[in-house]
Amino acid sequence: MSQPAQQPGTKAPAPPAAGAAPRPPVVEFRGVTKRFGEGRTALTAVRDVSFVVEDLPGKGEFIALLGPSGCGKSTLLRLIAGLGPQHPPTEGEVLVDGGPVAGPGADRGMVFQDYTSFDHRTVEDNIAFGLECRGMPARERREVAREWIRRVGLSVDADARKYPHELSGGMRQRVAIARSLALRPRIILMDEPFGALDPGTRLNMQDLVVQLWRDLEATVFFVTHSVEEAVYLGDRVYVLSPSPGTIVRQLEVPPPNRPARVMQREREFLDVVFQIRDLVESLEPPEAGPATP
Amino acid sequence: MARKPLPPGLFALRQPPPLLVGKGLGAACIAAVLLAWTAATAGAPESRLVSPVLLPSPLEVVTSARSLLAEGSLLEAVVATLRRVLLGFLLSAVVGVPLGMAAGSWRAFGAFIAPVVLVLRNIPVAALIPLTILWFGIDESQKVMFIFIATVPFVFSDAAASVIAINDRYVDTAQTLGASSAQVVTKVLVPLAMPGVFTSLRSLFGIAFGYIMLAELVNAKYGLGYLLSMSQRRGHTDHIFLVLVLIGLLAWGIDRALAFFQRGLFPYRNDS
Repeated sequence: MSQPAQQPGTKAPAPPAAGAAPRPPVVEFRGVTKRFGEGRTALTAVRDVSFVVEDLPGKGEFIALLGPSGCGKSTLLRLIAGLGPQHPPTEGEVLVDGGPVAGPGADRGMVFQDYTSFDHRTVEDNIAFGLECRGMPARERREVAREWIRRVGLSVDADARKYPHELSGGMRQRVAIARSLALRPRIILMDEPFGALDPGTRLNMQDLVVQLWRDLEATVFFVTHSVEEAVYLGDRVYVLSPSPGTIVRQLEVPPPNRPARVMQREREFLDVVFQIRDLVESLEPPEAGPATP
Repeated sequence: MARKPLPPGLFALRQPPPLLVGKGLGAACIAAVLLAWTAATAGAPESRLVSPVLLPSPLEVVTSARSLLAEGSLLEAVVATLRRVLLGFLLSAVVGVPLGMAAGSWRAFGAFIAPVVLVLRNIPVAALIPLTILWFGIDESQKVMFIFIATVPFVFSDAAASVIAINDRYVDTAQTLGASSAQVVTKVLVPLAMPGVFTSLRSLFGIAFGYIMLAELVNAKYGLGYLLSMSQRRGHTDHIFLVLVLIGLLAWGIDRALAFFQRGLFPYRNDS
């Protein structure tokens, strides 16, 4: 069924080494399999996943992970994040900056689909959470938090002292993004962060992510099951087959250099979308019924 | 055949009545009870529907407050009972909440302590009275410790359950933001569990109030429970009713006060 497409280890031509010694890849998966349970009830979430994301100096890559529900996209993210029970892998190795992932850390920021704002903290204190854990003095972290409130398009005067229950879904995700990015992670993991937002808000958030990512020069892994979102945001789209998940295709797609509303209407953009959608649908097992968009 | 539309207004399904209408309905219930009570106890003592030994009239209950207050025993009883139940329950919260939260955070510790809690939860509270008398005598410390032992397993369990109920996503999020285990507990689990813990403390306090009556009926030299048993022995049915109404009002007042604090303590919860 799932033909082992271009062996992921063989990535697009590596960037010319920028002078000094070659840097280890930002993220590398070596034959990673994750199984839950034993024997007949065992469930294989991902099988034999290998890929390399190089460290591009001064510019991180934006990887969109695309696939139907339950294909193990989130499992890949959680393996990079070092979050159980997906971490550690059953077989193979997950390397970040050349070393195996030992557990979660602030160098790999994560944004979830569910709203995970800490209810008992104001917007400002939510964003400052990681800085507080690091022991940054209160005055300093407040300044950083306020800067990030602005950068994600919220208002310091109107929103800084609000509690999460007073915010809309889109605003909560802005807070979650600011909270992760305030720590300036090398790697940003986004697990369907806009899955619960209405379409208009979603487009705005896509533009925001593109803009922030350019500023931060981080490597982003973005899980989605929206083909448009994957094609718009990604430099590269990894297409996963349904369970057990494995990467069946890596595609380079045009970079998001125009606003989401403009670019997502263009002929050539839509051509790529339809092409990938056909690919995704061909991977669906017959009994799975109509593909989820 | 079109179905008749559901009746609007007071008979609308699941719709709360307007605030004032709701209060009015409650007042109407009180009025109805008082009316029935008055009707059953009207007239000269011999010609009443119900003998005054069983049920004094509302007016008699109210006026009996004067004799009880004059003896000075009513105020003393209220203070004594409140002091016992508050001390015992405070001790219970101070011990039970941190232990319960620790058990919810570190489940191995929870598993270790589970048998003790299970046994204590399943012993009928009244069965603890003889032992507490043996251990703590018949003075104040016995009442306080009785309330403590009777409520602490429930406080513990509810605190543990509040921590366990927190979605794993919050822990994941905190860890990817660089929080250590200790920071996850102090900055995420404990504060997120607090509103639930407070709600459970409110309802458990009501139960503690019931337990103190039990302890005071068995042995006490003063207190509301003691007043009840004295009134019964002296045949003062009016005093019994008065104390019962007072207990109800006290428990209600304390609960409202706690609810008020709860809104102030947890402004981010709009459901309390």
